[in-house]
Amino acid sequence: MLFNSYTFIAFFIVVLILHNLPFSWKVKKINLLIASYIFYAAWNPPFILLLWLSTVVDYFVGRALYTQDNPHKKKLLLVISLIGNLGMLCFFKYGGFLLENFVTLTHMVGINFHPAKPNIILPAGISFYTFTTLCYTIDMYKKKSEPVKSFLNFALFVTFFPHLVAGPIVRPPQLVPQFEKPRKANKKQLFEGLFLLSLGLFMKVVLADSMLSSSADAVFGAGSALHALDAWMGVMAFSGQIFFDFAGYSTCAIGAALCLGFVLPQNFLYPYAAIGFTDFWRRWHITLSSWLRDYLYIPLGGNRKGKLRTYVNLMITMLLGGLWHGANWTFVVWGGLHGFYLWVEKFFRDRSARATGEIVVNQPIPMVVKASMVPSIPSNKGFQGFLYAMFTFMLVNVTWVFFRSNSFGRAGEMLNSMFGGVGKADPLLSTLAMIKIAVIITGMLIFHWFMRDRRVTELIYRLPWWLTGLVWSAIVILLILSQETSNSFIYFQF
Amino acid sequence: MPQNTLAKPALLMLILVITAIGSWEIYLRNKGVAISYDDGPPLWSHNRAMVYEPADKATVFIGSSRIKFDLDIDTWQKITGKHAIQIAQVGTSPMPVLEDLGNDPKFKGRLVVDVTEGLFFSNGSEMQRYITYYHKETPTQKASFQLNHFLESKFVFLDKDFLSLNAQLDELKIPDRPGVFQEPDFPMEFESTNFDRQDKMSPKFLADTNLQKRVQNVWLYIIGLGQHAPQPPVDPVPGIMQTAKNAIDKIRSRGGDVVFVRTPSSGRFRDIEQHAFPRAEFWDKLLAVTHCRGIYYADYPATEHFVCPEWSHLSPHDAVLYTQALTGILPAPFARQ
Repeated sequence: MLFNSYTFIAFFIVVLILHNLPFSWKVKKINLLIASYIFYAAWNPPFILLLWLSTVVDYFVGRALYTQDNPHKKKLLLVISLIGNLGMLCFFKYGGFLLENFVTLTHMVGINFHPAKPNIILPAGISFYTFTTLCYTIDMYKKKSEPVKSFLNFALFVTFFPHLVAGPIVRPPQLVPQFEKPRKANKKQLFEGLFLLSLGLFMKVVLADSMLSSSADAVFGAGSALHALDAWMGVMAFSGQIFFDFAGYSTCAIGAALCLGFVLPQNFLYPYAAIGFTDFWRRWHITLSSWLRDYLYIPLGGNRKGKLRTYVNLMITMLLGGLWHGANWTFVVWGGLHGFYLWVEKFFRDRSARATGEIVVNQPIPMVVKASMVPSIPSNKGFQGFLYAMFTFMLVNVTWVFFRSNSFGRAGEMLNSMFGGVGKADPLLSTLAMIKIAVIITGMLIFHWFMRDRRVTELIYRLPWWLTGLVWSAIVILLILSQETSNSFIYFQF
Repeated sequence: MPQNTLAKPALLMLILVITAIGSWEIYLRNKGVAISYDDGPPLWSHNRAMVYEPADKATVFIGSSRIKFDLDIDTWQKITGKHAIQIAQVGTSPMPVLEDLGNDPKFKGRLVVDVTEGLFFSNGSEMQRYITYYHKETPTQKASFQLNHFLESKFVFLDKDFLSLNAQLDELKIPDRPGVFQEPDFPMEFESTNFDRQDKMSPKFLADTNLQKRVQNVWLYIIGLGQHAPQPPVDPVPGIMQTAKNAIDKIRSRGGDVVFVRTPSSGRFRDIEQHAFPRAEFWDKLLAVTHCRGIYYADYPATEHFVCPEWSHLSPHDAVLYTQALTGILPAPFARQ
């Protein structure tokens, strides 16, 4: 079920009513669990079996991992969990990709192998709930937290509909304790949740779908090289579209959960105001970057095994992070480019730290900052910081070319067009489309910069009530007038 | 003073939203705007799902926009007693739908195929999006369609093509750089869509020759685009005819049947069509290859005289007359219970 659908509005009203009726806490949790299964099954009912399988296996394997003292048996259990979770992900998400690459390899060594093309449908949100359950079993293996005592709580933790399909990727300690005691939104949480839900839908429906998606699709779907202006505008449109689409989903998820009295972690913190790539990854898809740090980068050795290994670990993490987004080498290159930018940044930061004798590790840092894989550089909100943020934004735009293009050929054409390699090309985008992109992207950058160290949930209380009401009205009116419904969220495919 | 909750802003938001949307709705109704349904993949799929009705109870119509304007569904149903299932789609070739129905073992019905040569004999694949949507439609999409239908039947402002935010911004008519592709600029009065997917021109459109000329210019623009398009490396027409034959053979093998219909066109559009698609080479050959009966409007006194206000589609009044005539011309199993 999509947040931007009439079905969701009807569904959510029923869920809210049920959650506020005087049932016992256990009945309310069962209601939420059933609602979550309906939310998922409304897309493709058979795939609910995968969700059940993942939930049952990881609940029991997780408990066994925690209580098992025999190291061999413990490792075996972990392997079962990893094979179960990653095997499912590999089959559904990477099956076709692996086969395609295998065929290419066989052709390279002269074997004429032509297997039937597999017709595998990707279950929605499999990458997200696999990571959610994986972190539980790994934590149990490491005894980082206690096993979840109740199967109902565990099933609800995995399946809770606001985060199920496209995150935020939650950890057991963030959500399970919230299921242990009765919870219901108070008046403040309910209105705040509704505001966030409206804001998230506005970002997705009005800005991403209505204003930017057609331009991005036209530019990336053009079969030829483009005028530099069109190419840049198309890439900017996609930069905005992917942010508003995904951050819009996260905002909806956080808002929907809050309406029910639950708190989900932040996933985006104005990433286009990032000063540098370390900062960017503290602000973009925070729950994924922190997951990759804790369950990939640190287990690989992090920065504890010397400088060279730190660089290698960083790159491995970013390459696999790229591959997580999609079964295509273009995503790997996207991750690799981010890894390269992080390398360069780390190199200069280390050099600068050596020159000044500064120690940049082990500072007391908030949770969100911890999400980064490399130490932070001091933020500078002055003009110099703004220039660096804009430079970062421009480089991020280059990476989006690989993320959005369906082949390296198209990515090459786009980059060639962007950097003036094309002599003469027909103009593509209408003036109105370019005005929309220019206004929205400029507005987005100013807003991100202004909100860099602020939170929207603080700002709405600081503004005069009538101004908050006016902004909220504009959001809802534009949402209704845009008449765009039921377009899938981009991150559903990941 | 800092607020404790968002109750007051929420109340203000509710009042302003109801006032703004309500005012917009009242303004549009006073302007004479009628209810129109979004003719996208969900509504098409809703009709596509009906094609399995027994052949003696329903006739299925596929094609392009002409049959959507020219077939008056109420008239058809009143005269024939059969359900008219309209799954033609504007600006598209019906070939992908014909193939889809041919490959659907459950379809055993009677099919009327509207032929607009410029679209029928093109490689257009826009319909594939609709067909894919139908085959992959999820339970939540079906439920959303029902809710959307309820809202669309109550509010005129819910007209995505002409009254959405983007459509209103398009009305600013900001000039483009030379060479940018111009989207066809149809006036809102040209077309509204009923829930049964029949399209109708508004009385204002029929009374205003400037609006009619605007649509005529759109046709000339589209025809001009087609003339400047590069020729495909292989002539697609024989392949299209063979594909049509294969699909029709499959439908017939299951007990279904197919008839082709060429609806009226007028003015310069008709002249250009006759020049670009000579009847002997296209229409007659199509009937010969597929062994189907065809009803060409110019062959029948009851249909030869119709004049299309904008050269391509009939007015609602003429659609009633044309439908009456068509029910008398079509082979009995198509138009009789």
